[in-house]
Amino acid sequence: MSATSIFIMIFGVSLASLLPRILPVALLSRISFPPVFIRWLSYVAPAVLGALTALSVLAPQGTIHISINNIYIWAFIPTLFSAIKTRSLFITLIVGIVSMALLYNLF
Amino acid sequence: MNKKELIQGMRDSIPIVLGYFPLGFAFGVLAVQVGLSIFQSVLMSVLCFTGAGQYISIGVMQAGGAVITAILANILVNLRYFLFATSMVPHYKDLPTVPASILSYGLTDETYAVAISRYQTRPATIAYMAGLNLTSHIAWITSTFIGAALGMLITNTDQYGFGFALPAMYTCLLVLMINKRSDVIAALSAALACLVIGWLIPASMANMSNIIIATILGATIGVIIHERD
Repeated sequence: MSATSIFIMIFGVSLASLLPRILPVALLSRISFPPVFIRWLSYVAPAVLGALTALSVLAPQGTIHISINNIYIWAFIPTLFSAIKTRSLFITLIVGIVSMALLYNLF
Repeated sequence: MNKKELIQGMRDSIPIVLGYFPLGFAFGVLAVQVGLSIFQSVLMSVLCFTGAGQYISIGVMQAGGAVITAILANILVNLRYFLFATSMVPHYKDLPTVPASILSYGLTDETYAVAISRYQTRPATIAYMAGLNLTSHIAWITSTFIGAALGMLITNTDQYGFGFALPAMYTCLLVLMINKRSDVIAALSAALACLVIGWLIPASMANMSNIIIATILGATIGVIIHERD
């Protein structure tokens, strides 16, 4: 790609990622939603986190990999346990990273 | 601007910063290898701030694809932000529209997850958004720069376990978001749906449309169960 194409790509990708984040907040903030839609929106967070967690653990390289050889699944177990037990993001992160480092270097 | 809120936002961004570092670093390394200059790589992280989207773009470049392919793929990949941003709107109703809109540029999977978890108990503020989103964005830009500059000397960051930073963060935020039975069902149905869709249509894994469909499905199931309870 030429330098011009690269810059066009960067600005195009920028618009494609900027507009969906900014427009709802810029345009919808004066509108009040019906209660059932607000309730629906409140389920977006648990739903998307469920999807992201499942994908990040069961498809760590972008393709689904459900097997005992997937060390992400093994690292997930102590991580989930510490998340439930401590409800602390920091401790969970440390447990997750240390578990992964141990698993990666041992197996 | 409320200093306490700003600092709290910065503090809450620490796990995101840890997770972004290896990802941004790897992006910088790959971008330079594909033919972007250090300046172009950093510019992309400044202007786009979309992990998956940026990886896809340089993937398209490497495959010799067209600019329009990279942009179209990004429209698809970033559509989920429309959903996230809309679900933030009720929390932002007491905030001034212009700064809230501008700071929404820093909305990512990770900043969304951290912010929505905080807004369950505390009101949203501009200062908190600034602390959380800008710190995360700066980490993304800085790590891209380091990766692009040191591109040739890459070492394997996997052995330090950083590859599990984002999964660990998602796991904890998921646990924090779950307060009732219908939350569990919404999360599990979305998890199952995105795996099944990803398995049936592998292309949806690459453009992340399986996440969008799964989220819509999971949230709808959540509401239906909520109404019955």
